[in-house]
Amino acid sequence: MQGSSEFPPTIALIGNPNSGKTTVFNALTGSNQKVGNYSGVTVEVKSGQMFTPHGKKLHVLDLPGCYSLRAPSLDEKVAVDALKGEIPGYAKPDMVVCVVDASNLERHLQLALQIIELGIPTVLVLNMVDMAEKSGLRLDPAKLSEELGVPVVPMQANAGKGIIELKQALRFPFPPTPAVAWAAENLENSRRALITRLCELAARRPDAHQLTLSDQLDNWLLHPVYGWIAFLGIMFSVFWGIFSFARIPMGWIEAGQGVIANWVVAHMADGDLRSLLVDGVLGGMGGVVVFLPQIVLLFLFIGLLESSGYMARAAFLMDGVMAKAGLSGKAFLPLFSSYACAIPGVLATRTIDSAKERLVTIFVAPWMSCSARLPVYFLIVPLLLHENEGSWKQAMILFAIYALGTTSAFGVARLLRAKLGPDTGATHFLLELPPYHAPQWSYILRHVGERAWSFVAQAGTIILGLSILLWALGTYPKSGGTKDEMLAHSAVGRIGSVIEPAVKPLGFDGRVGTAILTSFAAREVFNSSMAVLFRVDEAESDEKTRSLLRDRLAAAKRSDGTPLFTPLSLISLLVFYIYALQCLPTSAVVARETGSWKWAFRQFIFMSGFAYIASLIVYQGGKLLGFS
Amino acid sequence: MSHTHAADLQIDSAMTLNQVGVGCDVRISQLSGPGCDRLRDLGFCEQLLVRKLSAGRNLICSLCGTRLAISRELAEQVVVSPMA
Repeated sequence: MQGSSEFPPTIALIGNPNSGKTTVFNALTGSNQKVGNYSGVTVEVKSGQMFTPHGKKLHVLDLPGCYSLRAPSLDEKVAVDALKGEIPGYAKPDMVVCVVDASNLERHLQLALQIIELGIPTVLVLNMVDMAEKSGLRLDPAKLSEELGVPVVPMQANAGKGIIELKQALRFPFPPTPAVAWAAENLENSRRALITRLCELAARRPDAHQLTLSDQLDNWLLHPVYGWIAFLGIMFSVFWGIFSFARIPMGWIEAGQGVIANWVVAHMADGDLRSLLVDGVLGGMGGVVVFLPQIVLLFLFIGLLESSGYMARAAFLMDGVMAKAGLSGKAFLPLFSSYACAIPGVLATRTIDSAKERLVTIFVAPWMSCSARLPVYFLIVPLLLHENEGSWKQAMILFAIYALGTTSAFGVARLLRAKLGPDTGATHFLLELPPYHAPQWSYILRHVGERAWSFVAQAGTIILGLSILLWALGTYPKSGGTKDEMLAHSAVGRIGSVIEPAVKPLGFDGRVGTAILTSFAAREVFNSSMAVLFRVDEAESDEKTRSLLRDRLAAAKRSDGTPLFTPLSLISLLVFYIYALQCLPTSAVVARETGSWKWAFRQFIFMSGFAYIASLIVYQGGKLLGFS
Repeated sequence: MSHTHAADLQIDSAMTLNQVGVGCDVRISQLSGPGCDRLRDLGFCEQLLVRKLSAGRNLICSLCGTRLAISRELAEQVVVSPMA
């Protein structure tokens, strides 16, 4: 079973949620890790490599946190399957490192005993010993090791204490499988008795119940009145922070793009290649990359809320509100994360115990306006306002956009939850409220970095490709005449005239229809497409390019000479973007997480159909009511 | 948060976590019901001390230094007795 020289031995890290397992993993593997997503199976197991003090290479798996091996929720099942070696692509672990919170041995040893019973060599890590000792707990790792028959390593992983000792314990060859001394007919009772005895022997707790700082904070933050004020204040600050802090780096990116465009224009002769670089590549990607700061900030704030322990409180507070939509507080985190991006949101639904509630949460998650929609909103919203109108009006419109998406999502969740019927097994709301602590910056920054990179990578691949394709379709076949005549003659002009009848009832023309069509791969492509389709020349800065595009859009006319963008057609366009599911990666993740393409396909048809009908009602209804 | 004395609870020695007053320390005497496996996994085991911190739609209790929020239905399955 132990690894041969070809394949390094595998060790698996397992532990209750909030036991600091990922911190131990990061401390062991350093930056040498990757998150594996294997298509076809539902698994998100982190893997990395480390070397023992003797230079032996070990493969390390970080399994999702779980409370027991009984596994009612999906992420727990992944952990159990990984321990049994039933996940394709991962070897059965040769050794298990069970991480427990030293201040919570009564609870966490439950899982440790179940793992030792599996018969895999085990090392027990007592993490966060500093916190335990501060609370007055007297720990005796040697006694614990003697009683359990496995090595016990006290650690303080966030400060890097105990890492060497743990690596020593992982020395190859691994220690033999311990004998299960507590095996009895009623395993549950004998485990219980053992844990009680162990805690009396090796983790003596001071008798008095102490009111910790977290308890005092919770008195305020979970208060029926002040708790809500704090919750709303925190959520408002997050969104305000994203929009106001992002402006500074966005200015730098725009300035940088302007410099590059100017350089290209100055150093290249006029021709198709220059047009490709300036209009196609820079124009297309520029409109998207500029939103990187907002996306980074959104992930940063969500990471901070999670890492500090507040997210669990938010889920607790929101449980009553979510119940009105037929969901529980556990659906809050996935839905809130979907404001950043639906993909991590959909992945986060794994912690929901009820299968039906999880399905409903996945189904509505894309309606929580994700950050990829922001570029589109920022292009359209200013067109609705006059030059001199304050930014607070823009903020109000944005707030209304988010509110519309969210309330619609809750409405659909309620209907769908009622249609799916009650759960077969009993599931109940259960949530651990971890102690508040300072955020783990290294972990948050690494996560934010991964997300930012995947956004940039998408801009460099899908969006770049589509921008070039659109540029080519808008340029060839060539003809003489004015710019507009040339565009009408090109492939895009012809595609547009085919699409036009379908989008005309919504208040759009063929060009907007084409831009919408291209944005079905990814929403933010809409901006690049509009820039390419409306032939906006790159100005010296991106801000100017965007205002040029806005001027161009404001001046755009239909074939009958009336303005293309009226307030009504702009609102219709916004409504379309609030509801349409235009993100192939999300559909792929939904298909993987629900286990079939059926749900992904239904979701796509439903959301896109809903977007079309909602947009149609807005435009036609508005016209009937006399708006223009 | 008021701190009720164990003596006040002596009147009815078998009750569920829902019936305990906020701020009371009690000992878990029995788990019964469909959710008891899940409760055990979370650490609700016989003989452990638990303090109820708040009541409401979901109640918060402190168990071995950890705060847990559980629904009323689950709390109904936790039978507790006053601390001896």
